[in-house]
Amino acid sequence: MTGLTRAPRLLGAMRTPVPKTPPQRPAVKESDEFDRLYRDHVDLIYRYAHRLCGETESAKDLVQETFLNAYKGLKDFRGDAKVSTWLYTIASRACIRMRRKRKGEPEHELSLDDFVPTSEGEFRLQIPMEGLSPEEALQNKELRQALDQAIDKLPPKYRMALVLSDMEGLSAKDVGTIMGVNERAVKSRLHRARLFVRRELSARGITHHDNPQSEGVPS
Amino acid sequence: MTKKKTAAPKKRSRSSSHTHGQGHCLELLKQLSAYIDDELPADICREIRRHLGACPNCEVFIASLQHTVTLCRHRPAPQLTSVDRMNMRRAILDAAHAR
Repeated sequence: MTGLTRAPRLLGAMRTPVPKTPPQRPAVKESDEFDRLYRDHVDLIYRYAHRLCGETESAKDLVQETFLNAYKGLKDFRGDAKVSTWLYTIASRACIRMRRKRKGEPEHELSLDDFVPTSEGEFRLQIPMEGLSPEEALQNKELRQALDQAIDKLPPKYRMALVLSDMEGLSAKDVGTIMGVNERAVKSRLHRARLFVRRELSARGITHHDNPQSEGVPS
Repeated sequence: MTKKKTAAPKKRSRSSSHTHGQGHCLELLKQLSAYIDDELPADICREIRRHLGACPNCEVFIASLQHTVTLCRHRPAPQLTSVDRMNMRRAILDAAHAR
């Protein structure tokens, strides 16, 4: 992360009085601040958006919605949290709104009882990982698709906990701030999300590729 | 050259070959993420390791969960092109100024 990582820098610049400036001057200043915010964080938020949405166009919509809201909220941002946490929060809320609008999907709870294996084949992952690094294993297109589909099937609040914790690498405390829940709830959602994805992968046989390098890099 | 590994048919009956005590295994299931994330006290970790040594199915299960977490952590994410970045910035500013 470069440049604009702390809110006080943003606010400091915005609070600096600029006497005798023409009327359009503050807008230019605001635009400069926005440009820095956008430049420093657009890749981060796009990556998060893509992981949440699972496809490119929705991810771009979410990025635009996030930065539009950030633009409007920039002057009120007090810097209590890191800028990235603030943007993650805006993106998460926008994502929930967009999904509700598109799918009208209700949240449903995942119960631990649903993840207890009941037959021999359900204990293990039947995927080719032995002797491969995770990166090499994920060059298997079928495995990537299985993983993407499993994550996409997760109810939104569980998917968000999984993406923020295991993919974005945030602490349970930061994830709690973003999702508006306590750390205990974050850990519970994360655990259920992992068990869900594990079960989905376990239920699916993956074709073994003898030469995973031949699969190419995912787009 | 590919070799297809087929998934076992899904059953939801409790007649599994999971021979260890179900209650103990269920307790373990609740704590697996905390165990993987190294968030449990040493005495509970020792107890879990003891259980895993005596219950092959739980050992396989925890390995499969660990693999799942590893795959999630390394799941690739696509990147924006510079044209995408520029077009989106323009669209955002247009929308902001239109309101």
